[in-house]
Order: sequence, then C-alpha cells, then structure tokens
Amino acid sequence: MGGFERYKRQITFDGIGEAGQAKLSAARVCVVGVGALGTVVANSLCRSGVGFIRVIDRDYVEETNLQRQVLFTERDVSEGAPKAIAVAEHLAGINSTVMVEAVVDDVNASNVERFVSDVDLVLDGVDNFETRFLINEACHKHGVKWVYGGVVASGGATMNILQKDDGPCFRCFMPEMPEPGSYPTCNTVGVVNPITGIIASYEAAEALKILTGSGDVSDQYLAVDVWENLSSYIKVNKNPDCPVCVGKKYELLDRPAASYAVSLCGHDSWQIIPEGRDSADFGALAARLEKIGEVKLTKFLLRFDGDVSFKLFPDGRAIIENVKDETGAREVYAEYIGS
Amino acid sequence: MIYLDNAATTWPKPEAVCEAVSDSLRNIGGNPGRSGHRMSLESGKTIGRARLSLSKLIGASDPERVVFTCNATDALNLATGGVLFGGGHVVISSMEHNSVTRPLVHLAERGVECTRVRMDPVSGVDPDDVAAAIRTDTKLVVMTHASNVTGTVNPVADIGALCRGRGVLFLVDGAQSVGSLPVDVESMNIDLLAFPGHKGLMGPTGTGGLYIADGVRVRPARQGGTGVFSESPTQPDELPYRYESGTQNFHGLAGLDAGVRFIVNTTLDAIHARESRLVDMLIGGVREIGGVTVYGPPAGANRAAVVSLNIEGVDCAEAAMILDASFDLMLRSGLHCAPDAHRTLGTFGLGGTIRVSPGFFNTEDDIARCVEGITAIASEA
Repeated sequence: MGGFERYKRQITFDGIGEAGQAKLSAARVCVVGVGALGTVVANSLCRSGVGFIRVIDRDYVEETNLQRQVLFTERDVSEGAPKAIAVAEHLAGINSTVMVEAVVDDVNASNVERFVSDVDLVLDGVDNFETRFLINEACHKHGVKWVYGGVVASGGATMNILQKDDGPCFRCFMPEMPEPGSYPTCNTVGVVNPITGIIASYEAAEALKILTGSGDVSDQYLAVDVWENLSSYIKVNKNPDCPVCVGKKYELLDRPAASYAVSLCGHDSWQIIPEGRDSADFGALAARLEKIGEVKLTKFLLRFDGDVSFKLFPDGRAIIENVKDETGAREVYAEYIGS
Repeated sequence: MIYLDNAATTWPKPEAVCEAVSDSLRNIGGNPGRSGHRMSLESGKTIGRARLSLSKLIGASDPERVVFTCNATDALNLATGGVLFGGGHVVISSMEHNSVTRPLVHLAERGVECTRVRMDPVSGVDPDDVAAAIRTDTKLVVMTHASNVTGTVNPVADIGALCRGRGVLFLVDGAQSVGSLPVDVESMNIDLLAFPGHKGLMGPTGTGGLYIADGVRVRPARQGGTGVFSESPTQPDELPYRYESGTQNFHGLAGLDAGVRFIVNTTLDAIHARESRLVDMLIGGVREIGGVTVYGPPAGANRAAVVSLNIEGVDCAEAAMILDASFDLMLRSGLHCAPDAHRTLGTFGLGGTIRVSPGFFNTEDDIARCVEGITAIASEA
C-alpha cells in the first residue's frame, strides 16, 4: 500500500488501520461553509486522506477571517479570493491525492439536496440556523449522516446526526428556528480562535470514526467553553413529534427559499424576509450591537450603523444598505442579526 | 390587513372572478379553438365572450381586433416591436414605464430613434409639444393614459386626434386606466391600446391584451399553431389568430370576462367615483402632515387612483416597511419600474416614492389607517 505511506502514523493507530484508511480514501464528504470551523474540518480530513471533499461557501476571504480561519493567507485577502476556491487551492498543495471540489454558492432549498445526496457525510461549518435546518431536512430525506458544529464567543457545541430510527435529528434538539436577533453571532459578540479549532477538531474526529465504521461514534451533544472552563456531554432524545425525522415533513426544502431577498429598486439595498418567523428580539440584539456600532431604536425599527448598515423591523425583516448583491445582504443578516 | 397596492395588481378580486376561474378549471377541459368536440367549443366560447365584453368596454366595434397577451408588458412589446421593426422615429412622454422605454432602447439597435416630451406631473403632456416633436419619419406616438407613479392623466383624446391628423400611429399604455377610467378607442383615435387583465379589469394575472385598429399593420412577435388555417405554412393574416399562437390562457380569460362584467354591472362611473373619493381623502389627510410631500395632481383632479408621496427624512423603502410591519398596510415604495417618471418628479435621487394605490374594494377606514401610519412615521422622523 505504497499510496498510503503518508498515512503511516494513523494507520499504525488501532482505531484506523489499513482497512480504515481504505475506507477513508473511498469516502466522500461535503463541508458546508469554510470559515472558522469548515477550514479546520477540511484541513483535517484532507490530511487524513478522505478521498473526496466538497467545500461550499458563498463568501470571500477578508482580513478579519485570518484570526481564526486556518488555510487562508494575507494574499487571499488582497486577491479577494472566494473562500471555497482558496481552500481547494491550499489543500491541493497539502494532499494532491484528495479530490477537492470547490463550490462558490449560497446553500438553499433548490441546491442543497444536490450537494448532500452524493456524499457519505456532511460537516457543518455554517454561520446560521436557517441553513442548518435546511441541511437537517436534506440529510434526513437522503439518509445522509451529518455533524453539527457551532461556535460563538468562547463557547461551542457539536453533535452527530446519525439518521438512526431511535436517534435524534437537529430539529429534535432545536424544535423551532430561533427568532432573528435572539442568538449572538461572531460579528456581534466576537469569537476567540481556540474554540473554533476545538469544535472543528471534534467534528473531524467524529467524521473519521463515522467514515471508518467505528463503534465509538458519539451519540451525545457536546458543549465546550474555553473561557469559562466548561465541558459537558448531554444526551439528546428523539422528539416523538419531530416534524422532520418522525413526520418526514421537509418544510424548508419545499419552500422556494428559506428566507428570501428582494432588491429595493432605486437603492443599493436589499430587503431580507426571514421565512417562517415573524418577530425579532430587539432588546438582546441592541445590547450586543451597541458594542460594535451605533444603534438607534425608534418606535418602528432598530437602526444599526457600523461596519455595515441595516434597519431591522419588528417582524424580522430587514433592509440591508449599501450591499452589492443578494449574497452580501444575506451575509449581513446572518452575521449581524443572526438567523 | 389593508391592501393599498392596486396599481401593481388589484386585490381582492370580485367573487365572480374567482368562481369563473374555478368553474372553467373544473368543468371545461378542451383546448380552445382546436378540436371540434363540445368542451373545446366551450373553451373557445369562453374566450370569445371575454373578447366581446372587452371590445364593448373599450369601444371597439370589432371584437376580433382585441388580441390577448400575457399582460400589458407583452402587449406593449408586441405593439412597439411590431410597428417599429423596420426602424423609424417614436415620440413618448417623460413619465413612461420601463415596459415602454426598455423595448424602445432595445429597438434602438434597429435604428429606432426616440424623442421624449415632458409630461407635467399635474396636467400631463401638452399636445402642442407632441405636435412639435413629430417628424416626417415619425411612425408612432406612445403615451401612458395615466401615470403609474402619480396617477396623472394624459389628454389622450387630444393627442389621438393630433396623431390621426398627422398620419402617425398612436399607442396608449392603459395599464392604470382600463377598467378605472373611460377609454373609447374609436372616439379617442387610439390605434393601439395595451392593457393588463389583472389591474383595473380585476381579472387574474397572466391576462392582458392589445387592441389593434383596423388597417394597422403590426408584425407578430411569435409564430405557431393557431387551431385554424393549419394548411398555411405561414402565420395567418386574420385576427385574432395572427397574434394568438399557442394555447390561450382560457382559465384566466374566463376570470377576466367575469371581471369586465363586474365593472360593467357596477359601472365605470361608480368605480371611478369611489376610487376618487378615497384618493381625495388620502391627499386631504396627508397634506395636513408636516414634512410630507405629495406629487402629482391635487385632490379633486381627474386622475387614476395612484398617489405618490415622500416623508422628509425617511427613506421611502423604510417607510413602506414600517407601514407593513407596524400598521398592517401593504403598499409599494421605490421607482415603480418608471425611472423616467422619477426623473421628471425629481424623486429619482431619493430612491423613488411611497405609492398608495387604493382600489374599488378599499374603505374610508383603510385610508384613515394609512393617514394615521404616515402621520406617526413623520412625527418620529
């Protein structure tokens, strides 16, 4: 097995061995979002010899990414490289035997099934719950396992969704999509570097176990906080009324877009309309946003001016100002308001 | 929920329209004008009835000269492209919709030249300006009957008479007038009238039409099956078949027919009077508010039921969103697909206007709520 020479250290490890390595080499994964989590996951799995890695991200490399998003360089920033392309290029220099497919796109109801249905495992590197709910539905529909991972500030969590008849899906853990503004985001409360590597490394480790057919795959939700010195495993039960994994109702997959964006003619602005939610949590959001920019609350709306400008309305809709396209508007919504 | 966006599409539709669409979907299965069986004949009759009621409404003596299209935009494209395909000069107003201007910009590649005459936001186009703009190579004058931004009405009868005298074809964009204002193609000397089915006529979306006066040659925009004259290798000359290739939207046209009948039974006068009362109430109400600018004709003027305004210090998109999120009012902000109109009004740089467009089914309470919302936003600004 000359081709496996580079994997000698992990083949020597009992948990993998040559048989495990062969499985990894035949495996196909999809990493949705290659930011702080996704770059670490893609890096680990590429070095470990997972045969095919699809990396998807709609975003471009920015200077503020470099503090935690591995693989990217200052040159990627100056070139304004798409994250997915930059990841593929760097990984090609790390392990040319792995096939990396770069997709520069928004993941939505019309394309998510195509992205997840031809792989063995999906890994979560996204920055919003809307996309996770979508991934959860698409993966359940196609019987594809996925690993949830999320971080903000100094804490993070991960959980395997193994598509077992008696096991939970992500919707069992989080029955409703959170209200816009109710969850902190990395742009509003920040994030420290180590937690991203820790959660992503757990995701990668679970991926190796799942792909090699290990009996030690975790069936619990893991929460870690590196600042508050916390780490705990929680058992998540299957919700007998779960619309997705019990009811097999794929609401988000059947919507043209989970949330949709409308260009406001005459303006360089976009209106984002979050689907399925009709209220926003102004109070908590205003408190967070005040630390990073100017917040003005009127009887009718919350106005934010900082690195970006937007107006959020009580029904969860927002006008995102001075953005060049729909993708940019969605990003601002996800990163500053949270969805 | 208060709907004040009837200039975009009217809502609600008369119950009879919903019933007619439902009935045609449930009970009429044949392809209109194609097969000789009873259901095909029935669907053909449905379309024939719609054509007849429309021709009566717009004063066309020959129903066959009303051809159905997907919407007013489709009709305007057919008319401009079909008259100007060989080039030539066209005169339009300075407040036309993109459905008029974009096809003409496209036709510039074929050598079409366009002159814009100023449309006054209060009194409309001065026919003398149109007369002065007509050249020896002018083939067509295109005017909106009523602005979709301000409701301003153009003197189409005067312009029609003038065009007829000069031997120039006259195309009217009736998007905001047909079904709400009196339109009579013969007495107004209108050669081509484009209209939507889903606005003033209260029919379903996907319906509309173009009236083509006798003797006016319009090149068809598409060719194909017509159900008749199948032996001919080329598109037949006979109307309406010349312009109606492919299976027609007869379910939609069944609804459109019911919409036109509703208008005839209610009477245009009653519809116009009601809409005018609501518009006057709206303008009267918002005029009292400091910082609010209303564009276009004053209260009491003859106009379409479209009012544009801005609130000082408040972006129009933001205002519309507040009216929706906090006052349950549905209306539209922005350029309303008519950037030229905003250049004329001086509102282009503001990103447009807030547009309030009441319909026949709105109430005084709806308008009061709208005035209340605009007042509240203005006082926060």
